[in-house]
Amino acid sequence: WATASTPSPSPPSGLCSPPPPPPLSIGSDQVRCRGFDLTFPPISLQPVGEAGADRARAHGRRISGQTSLGIKAANGVVIATEKKLPSILVDETSVQKIQSLTPNIGVVYSGMGPDFRVLVRKSRKQAQQYYRLYKETIPVTQLVRETAAVMQEFTQSGGVRPFGVSLLIAGYDDNGPQLYQVDPSGSYFSWKASAMGKNVSNAKTFLEKRYTEDMELDDAIHTAILTLKEGYEGQISANNIEIGVIRADREFKYVYKVNYAVFTAT
Amino acid sequence: MSRGSGAGYDRHITIFSPEGRLYQVEYAFKAVKSAGVTSIGVRGKDSVCVVTQKKVPDKLLDDTSITHLFSITKYTGLLATGLTADARSLVSQARNEAAEFRKKWGYEMPVDVLAKWIADKAQIYTQHAYMRPLGVVAMVLGYDEEKNAQLFKCDPAGHFFGHKATSAGLKEQEAINFLEKKMKDSPQFSYDETVQIAISALQSVLQEDFKATEIEGRCCEERRPC
Repeated sequence: WATASTPSPSPPSGLCSPPPPPPLSIGSDQVRCRGFDLTFPPISLQPVGEAGADRARAHGRRISGQTSLGIKAANGVVIATEKKLPSILVDETSVQKIQSLTPNIGVVYSGMGPDFRVLVRKSRKQAQQYYRLYKETIPVTQLVRETAAVMQEFTQSGGVRPFGVSLLIAGYDDNGPQLYQVDPSGSYFSWKASAMGKNVSNAKTFLEKRYTEDMELDDAIHTAILTLKEGYEGQISANNIEIGVIRADREFKYVYKVNYAVFTAT
Repeated sequence: MSRGSGAGYDRHITIFSPEGRLYQVEYAFKAVKSAGVTSIGVRGKDSVCVVTQKKVPDKLLDDTSITHLFSITKYTGLLATGLTADARSLVSQARNEAAEFRKKWGYEMPVDVLAKWIADKAQIYTQHAYMRPLGVVAMVLGYDEEKNAQLFKCDPAGHFFGHKATSAGLKEQEAINFLEKKMKDSPQFSYDETVQIAISALQSVLQEDFKATEIEGRCCEERRPC
């Protein structure tokens, strides 16, 4: 079922296999630890138990990523993000911040774009491997778990840094609509509605006021846009946000045409 | 008592600083500027043009051997701004990758796929401690069968975007300001106009007229080798 839309070359090998050891101390018996010798500075535990993961999580919040959010409605999930490009010279069709991991799971991020691409690629492969093994499409919880495990690995392994992204993974499977947020530390939770990035506290307050348990998806889309509009610096329009939805038909889709009245309404 | 300073390694390898910055990546951007060269790229309706300065530091040098422009395949070019050694390494790997792609899949590697590959490689260097980021901003250009003229810019941080026009190097910001004014209404330039805009952007930013020997450029057009 899942065919890659563009056949992409295999990821550079540095990500999947132990990298060659750095040219360091000569003559010593270098103990290999995941391909690195222990003279190389690993992520160390900071005093008072503040582990690298904590810092990663803190950084995930402090990293001034563009605001993104997700809302789980009764009959679907919507995820949205602002898409602010560094210059009008940038071709906006070349940038897609919301990506699908499988036909029924989509993801949006706040933080570092390059790190996000790596995670998307890895997650897609994991989903495909799951299907190959079990001949069943991967449940949302399992994909979230495996993605989070990758992120956690990078907080504990030597010679690498944590991923500078927080992810919002939205999917629809046999357990209904689901929304998960994964932090740089690798911890994840299921959310009814969540926001990440620069404007997170205002956005979450706004969402808390507006969220109801029996929300319909179209209301949720409306609320998502209004929440983005709250914290948006400048003029919001259909060209500088991205919205993705998944309904009971279990197909993750982008929303391209939105009723413009939403943007001008208060 | 170094809870705030992160064991001091955050300037030497790419791990996060307490404020959430990657110093090595920032230094890589500075290295790009240190080459002292500015490059411009412009995408027209069905052609792409890049130009860059050609600075020959010594008259005894053989100036035919000095170049920042490289072919990756017959149909794709790469303009590398920054450290030339890193540029050559990147070009060599990109050529290999494009050739393998052609062999494996039976068609030429599209420009955006190549740009993504370069950017993903750059991202690895920002995340793994064993390699430093490359001090190169790569502008990849070519003509794609489906998407017409393409111009992509990949930087040491692993970002890559498609551009209507862009710049890299020492006077990057001034050039982008100039180009933003020209491209404001998304004009569709012809081949000649594209070349003209690129060269005049470089001239206006560096505030000098060029002799033909002082700049080098490359254009990609439909169905013609670059």
